[in-house]
Amino acid sequence: MRVAFIGKGGAGKSALAGTFARLLAREGEQVLVIDSDPMPGLALSLGLPVTDAGIPDDATVERQAGEEGPRFKLRPGLSASDAIERYAVSGPDGVCLLQFGKLREHVGALMRSQHAFHQIRQEMPLDRWHLIGDLPGGTRQPFFGWARFASVMLVVIEPSEKGMLSARRLARLSNDGEEAPAEILAVVNKARHEDDAARIEARTGLRVAVTVPWDEELADAERLGEAPIDAAPNSAAVQAIASLVNQLQTGVLP
Amino acid sequence: MKIAVVGKGGSGKTTASAIIARVLARNGAAVVALDGDTNPNLGLSLGVGVDETERLVGMRQALDAADGEHASDWDSLLDLFGSDGPDGVRFAVVSQIDNPEPGCP
Amino acid sequence: MLGNVDPADAIVVADLEAGIGTLTRLGDGAVDIVVVVVEPVPKSMEVGTRAAAVAAEKGIERLVIVANRVRDAADLDVIRAAFPGHEVIVVPDDGAIVEADRRGVAPLDMTPEAPAVLALSALAERLVPV
Repeated sequence: MRVAFIGKGGAGKSALAGTFARLLAREGEQVLVIDSDPMPGLALSLGLPVTDAGIPDDATVERQAGEEGPRFKLRPGLSASDAIERYAVSGPDGVCLLQFGKLREHVGALMRSQHAFHQIRQEMPLDRWHLIGDLPGGTRQPFFGWARFASVMLVVIEPSEKGMLSARRLARLSNDGEEAPAEILAVVNKARHEDDAARIEARTGLRVAVTVPWDEELADAERLGEAPIDAAPNSAAVQAIASLVNQLQTGVLP
Repeated sequence: MKIAVVGKGGSGKTTASAIIARVLARNGAAVVALDGDTNPNLGLSLGVGVDETERLVGMRQALDAADGEHASDWDSLLDLFGSDGPDGVRFAVVSQIDNPEPGCP
Repeated sequence: MLGNVDPADAIVVADLEAGIGTLTRLGDGAVDIVVVVVEPVPKSMEVGTRAAAVAAEKGIERLVIVANRVRDAADLDVIRAAFPGHEVIVVPDDGAIVEADRRGVAPLDMTPEAPAVLALSALAERLVPV
């Protein structure tokens, strides 16, 4: 499966994506997590420490004068698969994490690695791993590159007006996009009221795949910087995510 | 006087920005609140309501998409994209919301 | 854009894009005060500490840390430890904010006396004294 978790910042994409990836990996599946966020977060939810390590500058070469295309590209001899083997970090349950790097200073410092990352995403084989991605909170990025290979987009929505406003916009964008993914579903996160899912369906027009309840155990895990699956394996939230994994595996969607 | 509010998404920037803006306005200052987030929700926190927030965001989106007129000066920015919020706060959505920026964080 | 905005006598409060991208791109003199909002959660503090470092590098005059959704002394300690020597304002964890967000209304209108609202109001006056 190729799943992108998208949504407003703070909605809980990292926690859900990281837990989802670990659960899938535990079933013996090969899982590659693709982290497009210039800020750290997903690694912690996976059970890895914060790491800035990404794609080093020597993975890329600069475009020659007269050459067409982006300013930087993977160096000759380095395929997308090679780059993944080299630069993805191994995590618990055999999950692999690929990121371009994390932002500490001026934006330009990451330019080469971002180019490499983008090219890897474009050229990587789509059948070698399950691909789980967590896209930064803004509404721009999902439709630049990701739509191409996500087969399912999960819009993570908190049951607040802000959450629904962002989700409505994302839902509209994903339908307008040139290369719409196969399936766009909502995941309600931090739900506190029984009617949250229904409200979100009504307001966003998206079907809700699963409702993840507000969970004190998960919140505590986050505060400790631990992966929910390690710190709170039996929590209601993790169980809800497990049912989501099951749904997507069996293809039985709401 | 320019105040920038930063933080991880979901940490509370927008709520903080809105209260800061309105309280300063209540204390007599001429305040302009700018929403630079790619999920522009400042309108909601300011209290202009869901419909008005969506209207302003939609307008900004349409202008960006059509590569339409972008404000070059202060007054036209507020005329084009701005709205009058509670306590006399003038507020504008300034983010380029749906323009993909190749590879830029 | 912030660099071009300078309405005389007005105060501009800019809610920047989540993360530090915009902050890293600010030109000299673009802002007078940077307010860094952090929660006592590692992911949030990572962004906050990076933001503080970028602001310091840019020589921004004043940096204020807002410790948000603080439940107890332990939460506050965690944030103070991450920002030694900085001005830290505490905003308590407050169900009133959650409810206002749920309804899409301004906390200042719905529950003006709520602890978090009072704390943020006090912050405003600390930033620009009356």
